Amino acid sequence: MRTVTFLPGYRKIDVPRGSTILDAAQRAGISINVVCGGQGKCGKCIVYLQSGRAEFDQQKYLRFFSEDELNKGACLACETTVQGDLQVLIPESTLIQEQKILIEGRDTQIELHPSVRKYYVELEPPTLADPSPDLTRLLWGIQKWGGPVAEKVYVPLEVMREIPTLLRHSNWRVTGTIALVPGGYRLVDLQENDTSNRIFGAAIDLGSTTVVAYIWDLLRGKVVAVASNYNKQISCGEDILARVNFAKKNGLVKLQALAAESINTALTAASNSAGIDREDIYEVVVAGNTVMTHMLLGIDPAYIIAEPYVPVVQRALSVAAGRIGIAGNQNCGLFAFPAVSDFIGGDIIADIISCGMSEHDEISLLIDIGTNFEVVLGNKEWMFSCAGAAGPALEGGEVLFGMRANPGAIEKITIDPYTLDPTYSTINNIKPRGITGSGLIDLLAELISACVIDRTGRINTQIEHKRVRTGAHFPEFVVAFAAETDIGKDIVITENDIKNLIMSKASIHAACVTLMKQAGVTRHEINTIYFAGAFGNFLNKKNATIIGLIPEIGLDQIKNIGNGAITGANLALINRGVRKTLDDIAKKIAYIELNAEPSFMDEYTSSTFLPHTDLTLFPMVQQLLDECRLRKG
Amino acid sequence: MGYDLHFGWTGVIGPVTLGATKAEGGTRKMAYHIGGGTTLPFLDTTPPSSSPLVALEICDNPEYWSPIVRHFCGDLVTTADDWAKTAETVYGADLVRLYLTSTRERNFSDIVSIGKTVESVLQATALPLIIEGSNEPRIDSDVFQKCGEVAQGEKLLLGTAEASRYRSIAASAIAYNHSLIAQSPIDVNLAKQLNILLREIGVQRDHIIIDPYTGALGYGFEYSYSAMERIRFSALKGDADLGMPMISSAIDSLNIKEVREADPEQQDDMAVQWEYYTGIAAAVAGAEIISVRHPKTVGLLKNAFASFKKSADFSEVK
Repeated sequence: MRTVTFLPGYRKIDVPRGSTILDAAQRAGISINVVCGGQGKCGKCIVYLQSGRAEFDQQKYLRFFSEDELNKGACLACETTVQGDLQVLIPESTLIQEQKILIEGRDTQIELHPSVRKYYVELEPPTLADPSPDLTRLLWGIQKWGGPVAEKVYVPLEVMREIPTLLRHSNWRVTGTIALVPGGYRLVDLQENDTSNRIFGAAIDLGSTTVVAYIWDLLRGKVVAVASNYNKQISCGEDILARVNFAKKNGLVKLQALAAESINTALTAASNSAGIDREDIYEVVVAGNTVMTHMLLGIDPAYIIAEPYVPVVQRALSVAAGRIGIAGNQNCGLFAFPAVSDFIGGDIIADIISCGMSEHDEISLLIDIGTNFEVVLGNKEWMFSCAGAAGPALEGGEVLFGMRANPGAIEKITIDPYTLDPTYSTINNIKPRGITGSGLIDLLAELISACVIDRTGRINTQIEHKRVRTGAHFPEFVVAFAAETDIGKDIVITENDIKNLIMSKASIHAACVTLMKQAGVTRHEINTIYFAGAFGNFLNKKNATIIGLIPEIGLDQIKNIGNGAITGANLALINRGVRKTLDDIAKKIAYIELNAEPSFMDEYTSSTFLPHTDLTLFPMVQQLLDECRLRKG
Repeated sequence: MGYDLHFGWTGVIGPVTLGATKAEGGTRKMAYHIGGGTTLPFLDTTPPSSSPLVALEICDNPEYWSPIVRHFCGDLVTTADDWAKTAETVYGADLVRLYLTSTRERNFSDIVSIGKTVESVLQATALPLIIEGSNEPRIDSDVFQKCGEVAQGEKLLLGTAEASRYRSIAASAIAYNHSLIAQSPIDVNLAKQLNILLREIGVQRDHIIIDPYTGALGYGFEYSYSAMERIRFSALKGDADLGMPMISSAIDSLNIKEVREADPEQQDDMAVQWEYYTGIAAAVAGAEIISVRHPKTVGLLKNAFASFKKSADFSEVK
């Protein structure tokens, strides 16, 4: 054996005498540009011999080199054989350049490095002089064209059976698809002729309400289609608890099938709109909460919802998509995100990688708001997490005129502090039908700034104004009179609505503070607050701070990441390196059970005030409200 | 002694003035300046901390009052001014706390009579007064306005503001320079929130007395004690929004099961004992005013507080 050392990284590999440098480089895991498949035809694999003994016929390939290159010892990696121990310098230009792409919801680029790739190979037919078997010939070809080392590739029997016919029928021109799975490389598909430009993957956000699918062209690193639909499990129960109980009673089979069907519906819609064949989807990456992931994989979730709340599996899982009823290529793989606990699932791990908080020294606070909320505090060294029920108020539930972000929903609102007349905008700019979570947060902040409500959220009924009145059960503020609405009645916010909103915001803020106290971190040490979740993108950061939904930090330090679950799934789909980090992140996160935290109730009560009972925690808001009061006199 | 009985605290309980003498624009024989504490009560400090005040609660319609008190006081309960006078001259109370229970009658609207009642009680006793207004939000505004107006200059303590009902009482207190009681349900945060609300609509800190709400001994008093303790600790640590004197009134003491089911001959004693021990504990937790309903409790508490002050000096204990 001879030792080849590759510079500049000093990576070493032992190879038999007579091996090519290209072969050695591939074994060392270095991706060298081989456009011609290592036949000495393209001249792209230029390397420099630094020391040691090798054989290369420089005269034969003179056309590929400049004089300068020749003087520095240039040779072609595919045509140079190793004779003794060698030191070889690989210039930057010879390495395969990783494609950088920008993903929606993330402000830094990421390399295109999927775990599944296609290799088009043109093979020499066997002869009496070269009678090596079909499989060897195929895998060597793939290796030559930049694929993994031949003997490391596992070939499933069903693919093996197709090899002889396909090779001969295609006149030895085939495209092999190789996937990196936990056991190593696997030849998942073999097709006639060059199909290397048809390779797609899907990233899925499996939510308990909505399923979102992104289909990616894994060759070019582009999103080709997006689709979403409701999770069909809703027919078995609105919330997760109801569905787990349904599973307990009627078995898991139906819920598993509905989860897969929901994904399939989204995949079909997206494939159709992009005009691609679902057979060309080779990989599906799914980020979902712990119960959803269990259900999709057909793993009993019953023990997650009862004390002591134990999931069956925490780590990331790779399975054959076909086994759980996901329709893609017959050998399509499925990667499911890991979870931390019963309530901190793969969707939150996806949030974490999408905002990048696990890569930074600075401390970040991540808040994902839905019916439940999850909070994660930490940096690349440590993380604490907790989860709780926010109540449906911030999603528009338990609020008289609250609604989801559908057409006609008021999503932004301001109130003139003198006339008390609101100015609002609705989704699709049609007449208003109700108010979304982001609209409600605006409303709360505007009402306190205009002194219509006090810090406990009670409406000052002594104000004489047509918009301030006492309704059937509670005092209320009229946001839109019947004539200007689409529903023919006044859209109001009642004191009871406000109370529900304050309870929701208080539990979220109290959770943030509980984690901060646990970690010994003050608001000054938080570098960034990331908002994830359905209404993340529309949230007015200033108003969220005014009502004390989140700790007060600089407004420019608050970032909306929108649907972090799908962004994280996208990242893990297009870059397999990201996947390796997921299990480590999941293991690093300590879970704090809020119910077991004696100080939580106290934090909650002190948060049931606008913005907070301890006004020193909100100096900016305090100044703002003082100014408002002064202005009003 | 060698101990720092202030434990490094820097906060002071802000002063509140109850009552005004002639020189001060009122008609009371004294004015109390309560608050000013810099540590826990009954400690051996220089100057010594002042004893809690004891208020006797009376009302203008005994129909809504404890039968035990009605039985003990007899006809006295039918005339609020005689009752108030006796509280001062016979029972030895420091303050009279008048509950306007007449406002609890269905559809009550005789605001003029409220003014007359307050005026006659002011004439019957020279003690500073606490007036508890209506129990009905509908007439709050008129009742507090009337009380405030007829007692202008007397520096009353008006009760009771809550987070859901504070605007009318605050308006009267501000307009006629009275103080008010701010009651919250046994929670340090809620107490602070109400004080902020009051401050923000213009009630000065030195016009607020905190009522953290007191459950009877054995009926939740431990929560009240803990809330009072936390309020006081926060104040002494410098939280000005909690730095006000406290009032404690364990009115349920006369209605608890042990009193109701006591041997008729012992019922009176049982009620007094229960009220007395609750009052002692509330004073230890830091309350500056202990408000009671049974006349006998007044004297017992005053004796106890006096003896506490004496025995607080370690050197006298053999």
